[in-house]
Amino acid sequence: MTGGAPFHFLTRRFTIFLEDGADTVMNKAMRNPYIYALFVIPALVLFVMFFIYPLINAVYYSLTNWNGVSDHLKFWGIKNYTKALTDETFWNAVKNNGYFILFSCFIQVPIIVISSLMIANVKRFKSLYKTAVFMPTVMSTAVIGILWGFIYNYDVGLFNKILGFFGAEAIDWLGDPKFAMLSILITNGWQWTGFYIIMVLAAILSIPKDLDEAAEIDGATGYQRAMKITMPLIMPVVSVVIMLSIAGAMKAADIIIVMTKGGPAGSTDVMATYMIKYAITNFKYGYGNAISVIIFVFTMILTVLYQVLIARRSERIEY
Amino acid sequence: MKKSLLMLLTFVFVASIALAGCGSKTAEEKPATTDNNTTTTEPAKEPEQAKPFEMTIRHTQVGEQKKTRFKMLQEVVEKTQGEVPGLTFKLDGVDSDVNRKEKLRGEMASGSVPDIFDAFGSPDAKTYAKAGKMLDITPILEELGIKDKFTNLGPWTVDGKVYGLPIGASAEAVFYNKEYFEQKGLKIPGTFDEFQTLLETIKKDGKIPLAAGSKASWVPLMITNNLWSRTAGSDVTEKFNTGDAKWTDADVVAAFKTHKDWVDKGYFKKGELGLEYADMRTQFFNGDAVMMFDGTWASVLFKEGQDGGKLVGKVGFFNLPAFTNGKGDQTSLMQDVNNGYGFSAEVAKDPQKLAAVKAFIKNLYNEDMQIRGLVEDGVLPSMKVDQTKVDASVKDPLMKEIAGVLTHVNISYAAFDSIVPADVNTEIGVQIQKLIGNQTTPEKAAEAIQKVQEEANASAE
Repeated sequence: MTGGAPFHFLTRRFTIFLEDGADTVMNKAMRNPYIYALFVIPALVLFVMFFIYPLINAVYYSLTNWNGVSDHLKFWGIKNYTKALTDETFWNAVKNNGYFILFSCFIQVPIIVISSLMIANVKRFKSLYKTAVFMPTVMSTAVIGILWGFIYNYDVGLFNKILGFFGAEAIDWLGDPKFAMLSILITNGWQWTGFYIIMVLAAILSIPKDLDEAAEIDGATGYQRAMKITMPLIMPVVSVVIMLSIAGAMKAADIIIVMTKGGPAGSTDVMATYMIKYAITNFKYGYGNAISVIIFVFTMILTVLYQVLIARRSERIEY
Repeated sequence: MKKSLLMLLTFVFVASIALAGCGSKTAEEKPATTDNNTTTTEPAKEPEQAKPFEMTIRHTQVGEQKKTRFKMLQEVVEKTQGEVPGLTFKLDGVDSDVNRKEKLRGEMASGSVPDIFDAFGSPDAKTYAKAGKMLDITPILEELGIKDKFTNLGPWTVDGKVYGLPIGASAEAVFYNKEYFEQKGLKIPGTFDEFQTLLETIKKDGKIPLAAGSKASWVPLMITNNLWSRTAGSDVTEKFNTGDAKWTDADVVAAFKTHKDWVDKGYFKKGELGLEYADMRTQFFNGDAVMMFDGTWASVLFKEGQDGGKLVGKVGFFNLPAFTNGKGDQTSLMQDVNNGYGFSAEVAKDPQKLAAVKAFIKNLYNEDMQIRGLVEDGVLPSMKVDQTKVDASVKDPLMKEIAGVLTHVNISYAAFDSIVPADVNTEIGVQIQKLIGNQTTPEKAAEAIQKVQEEANASAE
């Protein structure tokens, strides 16, 4: 999905370039199966090498007791899968991935859209705002972890200082299981919101001005123009943002490792950190492979759901 | 549609050819070793016409804090090269955690293991040894006559065969602020009850009795491990693996209860679950906390120019006091010997390499090097050394105090994480955080750990 946009751009340009004549020659060539194969094979080889083969390998090892080192492995069927799927701790990790998705779709995406609309409509310092919101994205997760570690600090952290100012009791943001996950979600949201704002902003700015002006002349208010003109036109991009958020939520790990190491007591573990903690660290690569296959399957299910529920409904817009 | 597909394929084709072309070229041009941390020392003069050969040493002595240790390794390397004709050592330095968790594991799986490498005894070296990837060095140790010189080779031994050697040892006990103790007229506690009174006194004075940073669960577990070794005996951890003892036994649960009790009474820094190990040290360094339960490796920090420089000469060290109703020897001390060097099983196929390994062991594992490690690097000996020599060499007051504590120890035991199976280790880590975070009770925590222990015991059989 991420590669879709630039490829589309390329193909469009090339099609224009090859307009009349050239494409008929190519079409003739493509009827020759050997030439056809010549074009397909390189991509196919890469696809098999870096996707299909590792996937099959992961499935194979997930059915064994491989410890990552030994040459002797015992084939023990779906034992690893039943173990994971009956483990309460694993489901807790799945639930945390779910929180990531819900947080991105229902809190982050509205913030992104509203912020983008606001930035698109400011008259002065537009590039300053753009740079400011994009800043967190270019920072490394390790730096963000330390930065927010200070903000969440129990004694001297910004949040507790604010709470203290209003006379409220200090919260152990990263140490209390009730708040630790929320703290991570906020930090993760802070890190990536800017990136998506830039995407949505680009979509807003690419809408031809005359549409908006026409609506304005017809007497539409700013709110009406945003809801009836801008919003429908940026929906394809918002849908991509949702897709990227879901994919990001499924593979989240670094921010958790940096901020809480999955703790306290596993309350912020997601599937990826669960895999590291319970399988890889403990020399259980068979189990680790089973977890990774499960992550893959879950992601596939979500992608299909996304395609059916969201992507199909948002049509491509041509001006 | 067809046109765009066609162009897409063309693009992929061209791109893949370009990428493939670049790939092989860079691979060929890349020199064999470009690692920043890789240094090759000059080969020694060859007394005879021996066939030149190269061996790799994977070490983890990278960075400022480990430069003393690195210097000692370099000396051993040079000496060994001088003794073994034709030998050139290639030193490959990698960060300890990267080596342990990623690099070495990958190499073990692929079979291209460095000849000599930094390793952790249990569960790592044991796992590799069982897979036949490590050299059995028992005959070498017997030949050199040093097999009985080590204080504990347990984490490195599988079926009576030794597969690696600990470079040093580290003990875990209480560091305390001497200045504060003197000001308040406090004394080192002689019994466990006195220790609890001490904690209460400090708490009432408005200070933090014990520094804490429990984001990584092994940090608070240093205390719990010591507590259960007092309440249930220092050998109890091994018994969990054989089924001779259970985590749910009353005397083991008593240790968890004590830990929880201390948390509830506010003897630890508040909000400890959100704090790093480094934060714990900071609490002690800046005087907020009066005591800190840590390993002897922390002793190097109480020197001029180091993080604990403010406390030079003001830090003391004592072993966890004896329980009145405890089991077993109440003076026992945890001494960890889990980090050291292992050797590739491939070495056995080459007599020259085998001779080099023997010389390397001889030069690195001797009384002289052990005392130097203690004096220069604050690492306790992993071998039995002459106490008079230690007393004569150690000048640092804190090191002297630590050495003094060691002389009163009859029994030392290994840390739990080098004894129990990895799964149990993970579970203990989860349960201790739950206990601190008030999400479970000592009894329930013990039950959860015992459940995993039983599963692990069953699968080991």
